[in-house]
Amino acid sequence: MTTDNPFRVGLETERIPDACVFVIFGASGDLTRRKLVPALYNLAASRLLPPGMSIVGFALTETTEEQFRQSMRDAVGQFSRRKPIDEAVWGDFVSRLHYVSGRFEEPASYTRLREKLEFLDKTNGTRGNRIYYLAIPPSVFRTVNDNLAAAGMVAEEGGRYARVVIEKPFGRDLASAEALNTDLHKVLQEKQIFRIDHYLGKETVQNIVALRFGNAIFEPLWNRNHIDHVQITAAEDIGVEGRGKFYEEAGASRDIVQNHLLQLLMVTAMEPPVAFTADEVRDEKVKVLRALKPIRGDDVKRLTVRGQYGPGNFAGQPVPGYRQEPNVSERSTVETFVAMRLEMDNWRFAGVPIYVRAGKRLAKRCTEISVHFKNVPHALLTQGAPGPGADGSRIEPDVLAIRIQPDEGITLRFAAKVPGPSMVLRPVTMDFRYGSAFGGSGPEAYERLILDALLGDPTLFARADEVTAAWRLMTPILQEWEREHLADLPIYPAGTWGPPAAFELIERDGRAWRRL
Amino acid sequence: MRLSLDKVELEIARLWEEEARRSRATRVELMTLVALVSESHLLDRARDVVQRVARAYPLRTVLASWTDSDRPAITAEVALHRPSPEGAACGDAISVEATGSAREWLPENAERLALPDLPMCVWWVGDLPDYDRLFDRMARAADLVVVNSEEMDLRDLEKLSTVSARVRHTCAFSDLAWIRLRTMQELVARFFDDAAGRECVRSLERVTIEFSPRGGEKDVASTQAGLLFGWMANALSMRAEGVQWKRGPTWGEATLGKVVARFVHHPRTDVPPGSILRVSIECDGARFDIERQDDPRVLRWSRETPGAPVSPQTIGVDIAEEAGLLVRCLERPRRDFLFENSLHLGSRIVRPIAPRLSSLPRPL
Ligand SMILES: NC(=O)c1ccc[n+]([C@@H]2O[C@H](COP(=O)([O-])OP(=O)(O)OC[C@H]3O[C@@H](n4cnc5c(N)ncnc54)[C@H](OP(=O)(O)O)[C@@H]3O)[C@@H](O)[C@H]2O)c1
Repeated sequence: MTTDNPFRVGLETERIPDACVFVIFGASGDLTRRKLVPALYNLAASRLLPPGMSIVGFALTETTEEQFRQSMRDAVGQFSRRKPIDEAVWGDFVSRLHYVSGRFEEPASYTRLREKLEFLDKTNGTRGNRIYYLAIPPSVFRTVNDNLAAAGMVAEEGGRYARVVIEKPFGRDLASAEALNTDLHKVLQEKQIFRIDHYLGKETVQNIVALRFGNAIFEPLWNRNHIDHVQITAAEDIGVEGRGKFYEEAGASRDIVQNHLLQLLMVTAMEPPVAFTADEVRDEKVKVLRALKPIRGDDVKRLTVRGQYGPGNFAGQPVPGYRQEPNVSERSTVETFVAMRLEMDNWRFAGVPIYVRAGKRLAKRCTEISVHFKNVPHALLTQGAPGPGADGSRIEPDVLAIRIQPDEGITLRFAAKVPGPSMVLRPVTMDFRYGSAFGGSGPEAYERLILDALLGDPTLFARADEVTAAWRLMTPILQEWEREHLADLPIYPAGTWGPPAAFELIERDGRAWRRL
Repeated sequence: MRLSLDKVELEIARLWEEEARRSRATRVELMTLVALVSESHLLDRARDVVQRVARAYPLRTVLASWTDSDRPAITAEVALHRPSPEGAACGDAISVEATGSAREWLPENAERLALPDLPMCVWWVGDLPDYDRLFDRMARAADLVVVNSEEMDLRDLEKLSTVSARVRHTCAFSDLAWIRLRTMQELVARFFDDAAGRECVRSLERVTIEFSPRGGEKDVASTQAGLLFGWMANALSMRAEGVQWKRGPTWGEATLGKVVARFVHHPRTDVPPGSILRVSIECDGARFDIERQDDPRVLRWSRETPGAPVSPQTIGVDIAEEAGLLVRCLERPRRDFLFENSLHLGSRIVRPIAPRLSSLPRPL
């Protein structure tokens, strides 16, 4: 990374990565087409890729470089946030694209790949720097890493770097996650491993950090003295969309709760780090997971809810249930909905429940964190809003809601006087919307994360101990669910907010899910 | 309908109420942009620019102009900005006109019309007069003052440098020509990002900057070219003292110690006046080039450093219009030390070949 270029001092882009070869394992796959190559193209359009950087696709499919380039052009045309393709940008970008076909299990393929990379080093001055992006099924992670190491392709010598970016799932439970980390650590140092959780690349998630630590007014309230409870929702209105096979293996807990949802929780609940550097931030995040009370045995039934969508509707049109989706078993017990009541055992949040829920085919697409503040200590004034408080006995407490998607923004709900002679209050909202305040479309999560990997900045990537701590929470729950009888899996109609047990989970504490 | 200034807020509130009934527009405004139109023939252009800025960046705009008259007064017209005639409102559009000596009252009244507690940016539209009290008083009220040296002569760099030094404790100061240079700066910086490039910095011998002059321009360098070289000289910690100039009809050459900087005219009609067309840098055996192609939106970037090959690149660039430059400027309404230093050094380097000002602006 550039530090001592006198022409960079004071420029907007003070950090430009050193040139490298970016190797995509699984270059004929879905992720490469939909996310990686469009993100790389957008980085090129923003002139954030270093000159000389090459991109090499590697996969089983036999295809010519020409065909690969054409198929990547189609992918960029279809999935890039910048449309139409800018021919000047593409002209340069396409000259960086190369392809090698090979089998991940076959050492000879690595020899061919290595020769190609060394040739590119010679012609482009990339000096042995490598990013290996593993857009591949988890079953071949280990094979690929071992073969890369055996071919001497991940050694960081003579000032060159080799980084490996991996995609979730990082294991299916605690044991497999630990085994994966052990395998990775046999051939790579932790600083070479970049575990992607694309939620962390989202501008709005980073804005939680800005909101909390860039303002003086929220942090003094961010504790058990003022917060009644927190809700985190990641709701999708779509079903499994042709990914039945994948979902049968994952379910909502592995697909979203163990990673994305817990990441949101970590960023919401962490202590201020000493500095905004990779290890300081991740140290604080992992402490959040360690502070979560484990949920085991009978508590699983009490504190968690799972469900699966049955036939119902999507925006007023009939849709099938999960078990009727392609590549899904008719008797599947995989959960498409999870709700949990979590609690932290630490000084700041002891006794503050954190309700989380995530699911598919819910009533609306919305990912949101809401912080519900305690009510006023004495009901001096009365509430005039319709609803439970309408008898005048209760004022609706203040809520700070951070919307991650869609319509990214922040809303503060507070009480205001209804105009008129009597002192009656009503909740009103103060809204901040990213779209209206900053306009345009910001970089996509993958752009930010790929750039950070190129720069060698792992702040927004999950560290090994974060992943295992998350599995330590989730694994006993998953095990208990496996022991439960099939008939216990509640079915909720598609297009609703999940099974009734999800409402009971929060209502028995005298609270309710926020209307989204 | 022309309003008295005390009616402006009421009218804006009424327009937003009306808007709430017809669309879901949220009223978000991040700053006030006051455009001071120094010459009446620039009014339409300035109106068009502030409208475009408001579409990209939610703000209140105050377009201020003045005419001669015996009756001093300031009146206003109020509307809402919209991305299209049917689109939802996206900001307040106020136009004020000062007649006669009421021009003197503009600073306090611009402040009166500014959104409370949010930054105020003043854009001086047109050439900056050698000295204007109004400019200085506006600068005191503003958080950011923006000018455009693309419309100025080379000698004005010195004036801008004096102004920037004068206002530096009261507000940030920026220049749209400087904002336009960002792409070139980024591409120049790229040459030296890796070790092989950085090695060459110390042995830099020659810089050639080719630019398209403004119509009828006699100056050896455009303000942009002067600023660009000022920036390079600042990065390399060069000094203006002892600069030696040679010049021909369409070129000029400055020698600063062991570095020679050559400025060359190359008229082109498809780029904004003053634009940079080519930058070449030569160092002991290495060569770095950025060259605008026949398509003015395409630059060719190439580098020849012995033993460290990098393939040339063609790079698509925007030719930003004034509104686009202004938006970029507003995104960072704070002091830009790099600009101040580059302007200061650049203006001192070109001083020997820029016709002198009749008088430099007086101090505040
Ligand atoms: N797709 C997404 O949106 C998404 C989102 C988040 C995470 N992920 C994760 O990203 C990874 C990739 O997902 P994907 O959807 O892109 O998968 P995919 O479409 O199935 O692509 C897999 C790729 O791996 C290659 N491959 C598999 N086995 C191989 C072997 N033995 N030798 C050589 N090449 C082999 C395939 O090559 P051929 O096609 O040539 O056989 C293909 O290019 C997975 O870990 C997934 O969980 C994906």
